[in-house]
Amino acid sequence: MRIGIVYDIVRWEERALINAVKKLGYDLVLIHILKKPLWLTEPNGIETLDIVFQRCVSFYRALTSTAVFEEHGVLVVNNYNVIRDCEDKLYTTLKLVKNNIPVPRTAISFTRESCLEVAEKIGFPLVIKPIYGSWGRMISRALDKDSMLEILEFREYMQSPYLKIHYLQEYIDKPNRDIRAFYFWGEVPAAIYRISSSWKTNTALGASVQEARLNEELVELIVKAGEVMGGGLLGIDILESRDGKYYVSEVNAIPEFRNTVRVTGKDLASMMIEKTVQHFKK
Amino acid sequence: MKKLECPICGGEVEIPDDALPGELFEHEECGSQLELEVDDNGKYRLKEAEEISEDWGE
Ligand SMILES: Nc1ncnc2c1ncn2[C@@H]1O[C@H](COP(=O)(O)OP(=O)(O)OP(=O)(O)O)[C@@H](O)[C@H]1O
Ligand SMILES: [Zn+2]
Repeated sequence: MRIGIVYDIVRWEERALINAVKKLGYDLVLIHILKKPLWLTEPNGIETLDIVFQRCVSFYRALTSTAVFEEHGVLVVNNYNVIRDCEDKLYTTLKLVKNNIPVPRTAISFTRESCLEVAEKIGFPLVIKPIYGSWGRMISRALDKDSMLEILEFREYMQSPYLKIHYLQEYIDKPNRDIRAFYFWGEVPAAIYRISSSWKTNTALGASVQEARLNEELVELIVKAGEVMGGGLLGIDILESRDGKYYVSEVNAIPEFRNTVRVTGKDLASMMIEKTVQHFKK
Repeated sequence: MKKLECPICGGEVEIPDDALPGELFEHEECGSQLELEVDDNGKYRLKEAEEISEDWGE
């Protein structure tokens, strides 16, 4: 078995995956995509690899390099469609809704006027997000009409056309935490609570973490959400409402897992490799 | 372990022998995020890590 890992920078997660591949006794080929061009018109010398794990921290690098490898016949995990659909919050929401997975009520708007219409229907507080992005960046909560208009004004001055697409979402009045669960090929190997006094509970923003024990209903929901997004190796975020309902907030296709390993003691990197190898052996 | 110079504070940073180009290290003494790179002569050196860009994430 020859396994490749595609990366741009080596974080804790990529180091853990590299060590896991070696520990499991597979041949490892590292593909540092910043160092070499990727040929479209000729092979790149990695076509004989059995599985390639995509681990670029940059979404566009991940997506484009996956496209090249996949079209050259290489098996990439996660695959192109999964990476694309998970990165795009709009598409994630649409896919989940279509498959009857509960998500917060959501709309997109291109103008202030239509944002106001959404606010009238959903009420405040209201969460405003870019359709792309991660680590809680540029995500705001409007408590009333005035603060919503202020947030929109900021966004309208931004350069990026993506930031002018407003993804507006019902605020789920969750306890001081959300849930990050992992989905590896139909199984849920680990989950954590991300706990914070701020409504944004991203660990990148300083939330603390604790192992979460999931009930059957949650495990079922996570498995279903993972299947809907195309399967593979995913990080799935869940919001709990005060009245005990669960909503899928988003799905991450190149998830970070350092904090989860730290508090659960589980070797997620080895599981990611082994589960994937087993999946494709069948 | 290899010893390399921190480009920010000039101090010494210890790097494991199997470290890879693109690998991130924090220099605890000064708090900088550093990235290992290989120069044109195949020599390892540290540079300040790339700034987080808009499309970075999970
Ligand atoms: N509708 C909502 N109601 C309440 N809290 C929310 C809602 N949407 C997001 N949050 C919280 O805001 C934070 C950031 O949200 P989200 O996960 O969508 O952002 P992100 O930037 O994609 O983060 P990442 O990809 O790193 O998980 C999370 O802590 C989440 O719990
Ligand atoms: Zn230093």
